Amino acid sequence: MDLAPALAVSLPALGVIANPVSARDIRRVVAHAGNLQISERVNIVIRVLQAARAAGVQRVLLMPDRAGIHAMLDRHLKRGDTQLPEIELLDMEPTSTVEDTFAATRLLQRAGVAAIVVLGGDGTHRAVVRELVAGCGTGAPALPIAGLSTGTNNAFPEMREPTIVGLAAGLYAMGRLDAAESLLPNKLIEVSVLNGSGPPRRDIAIVDAVVTQDRTVGARALWKTQSLAAAYFAFAEPEAIGLSAIGGLLQPVGRREPGGLSVQMATDAQHALLHLNAPIAPGLVRPVAVASWQRMVAGEPLAVSAEAGSVALDGEREFTFGPGERVSMTLREDAFHTLDVKRCMAAAARDGLLATRFPTP
Amino acid sequence: MAANPFPLSKEQLLQAYRTMRTIREFEERLHVDFGRGDIPGFVHLYAGEEAAGTGIMVHLGDGDRIASTHRGHGHCIAKGVDVRSMMKEIYGRKGGACEGKGGSMHIADLDKGMMGANGILGAGAPLACGAALAAKFRGQGEVAISFVGDGASNQGTFLESLNLAAVWNLPAIFVVENNGYAESTSRDYGVAVDSYVDRAAGFGLPGVTVDGTDFFAVHEAAGEIIARARKGAGPALLECKMVRFYGHFEGDAQTYRAPGELEQNRAERDCLKKFAAAVTAAGVITTEELTTVDHEVLSLIENAVVAAKAAPLPTAADLTTDVYVAY
Repeated sequence: MDLAPALAVSLPALGVIANPVSARDIRRVVAHAGNLQISERVNIVIRVLQAARAAGVQRVLLMPDRAGIHAMLDRHLKRGDTQLPEIELLDMEPTSTVEDTFAATRLLQRAGVAAIVVLGGDGTHRAVVRELVAGCGTGAPALPIAGLSTGTNNAFPEMREPTIVGLAAGLYAMGRLDAAESLLPNKLIEVSVLNGSGPPRRDIAIVDAVVTQDRTVGARALWKTQSLAAAYFAFAEPEAIGLSAIGGLLQPVGRREPGGLSVQMATDAQHALLHLNAPIAPGLVRPVAVASWQRMVAGEPLAVSAEAGSVALDGEREFTFGPGERVSMTLREDAFHTLDVKRCMAAAARDGLLATRFPTP
Repeated sequence: MAANPFPLSKEQLLQAYRTMRTIREFEERLHVDFGRGDIPGFVHLYAGEEAAGTGIMVHLGDGDRIASTHRGHGHCIAKGVDVRSMMKEIYGRKGGACEGKGGSMHIADLDKGMMGANGILGAGAPLACGAALAAKFRGQGEVAISFVGDGASNQGTFLESLNLAAVWNLPAIFVVENNGYAESTSRDYGVAVDSYVDRAAGFGLPGVTVDGTDFFAVHEAAGEIIARARKGAGPALLECKMVRFYGHFEGDAQTYRAPGELEQNRAERDCLKKFAAAVTAAGVITTEELTTVDHEVLSLIENAVVAAKAAPLPTAADLTTDVYVAY
């Protein structure tokens, strides 16, 4: 499929990213994280697509995969479902890694879709946002995402019925909802790694950037709280699951309120101000030795004091750093947009967007 | 010397490196010697996959059992089987692990908990279930591990073993060494699921996928899975995504690979290079210390080859020995 710009803008389109590699890490072994089967992910995609079609969307661009999501969807289409939009696969070779999410996001951005529906947990949503932010230069990307919670830790995506997310995303894509009313700004943590005099390496976290003492990324996920050195939260809610629960139970910071939170862990019991029992993974409530915490102010970088270690972004260790490298964390506000499903549907009700009035006799 | 930030002591790290380097040099030497026609039968080389076998086996003792595959040299070395007896076996000489009558695909050493390489694909999994059942009855916290390739993971024996291990809650661990090819068939053509975590879930087992070229990733995940099994929490599956540096067998023309694939794997996914970079960057082990190990390993392999070539061949009278076991 050729996503030439002329074709890309011809019809309002919705993008869908459902990376099957999400929710595959060791938290299924060390905790009791769920395992959402491919068939269920396909069901979710179908519900989104049927609702989007009902809202008027005729064209959807879908990330290809080798795990069976597209194959099972194709089987469903062959049964003659007429309630779905036209589905086009993005022109990319799947690798069955997070790279697929990166590549699909870039292609969807280039194709000019109106919104991206994302199936995944915090990690998959981070991957999408990372590319959106990287692809728009300065300022927040205009392209919003609508998240569906199907990952391991789901602090970022809200638990919602896919049909309703599909309706909201569809109405937005068709231009039937006002952007100012439909979209919400989100914060993120920007991670910067300086090595010598070269340009810094940058990455992002949409919920938590956590520094550990590990010198390897190992099995990637974090579940040993004794290795934690510091954590930086874009938001931290007390009812969250995952590492952001640490901040949420110390000093909650809402998604929409200004500022973030940084927490320093104690390396030994003597330096601990308190021990916090935090639900850091599904079924896993672990003590965390906390030394101190402070609010983060947007745009003001905080230097990471650890000389060496690894950095986990939204739940998984992504890279290591050593002496000679300087890591800093900066909170960014209004960094990207998500679809406010609740307000979208309220507007749909108020304006009768799903109602068809019969002529009065 | 910097403080050690790794979950292994310096001595353990050096030993892990020595094991991986021994496997690498063992296989590189076999590649050369097989090409010269010195070795009878088939050999399937483990070069490139060293981090998986080593990262798992460092958690095991002699009482823990493993059932290997046709690509078993690395498992044998990591499990502690004597390199000299392995070399003699592969050369088909007396004094080999099986007195020179088994060859590459049948090396076994029960004293080391190595139940054997296996020429039958997927045949190791039921054996591991048996060993795990015995371990469960003994009650001493031992585990059994079955290795299987991505191709053999489709065998009924393997799938039935997942079920058996789950219903009997065995201390059994299933390691899928996913090097991307079942002989010459890409796994994309031959395996219906993308993730073995899904396949395990279908049988009621937890699973995890790790980068099998990262020793520390394998070590950490395997440590958790093995500790879990020792405590009686049951079986689990570990998928190691990895690369093999040679063909399915020696002599394989590898026409199924993409141009430049092997070179790229050697450059970017060499587990030994990654390990060395991590431990030297952290200042725990010096390059000189690693080089010393390299030299010692080369000497060990050279001596093993010399001894193998000097050892006698089995005689006709040896044909009938070790065939039957009296219980």
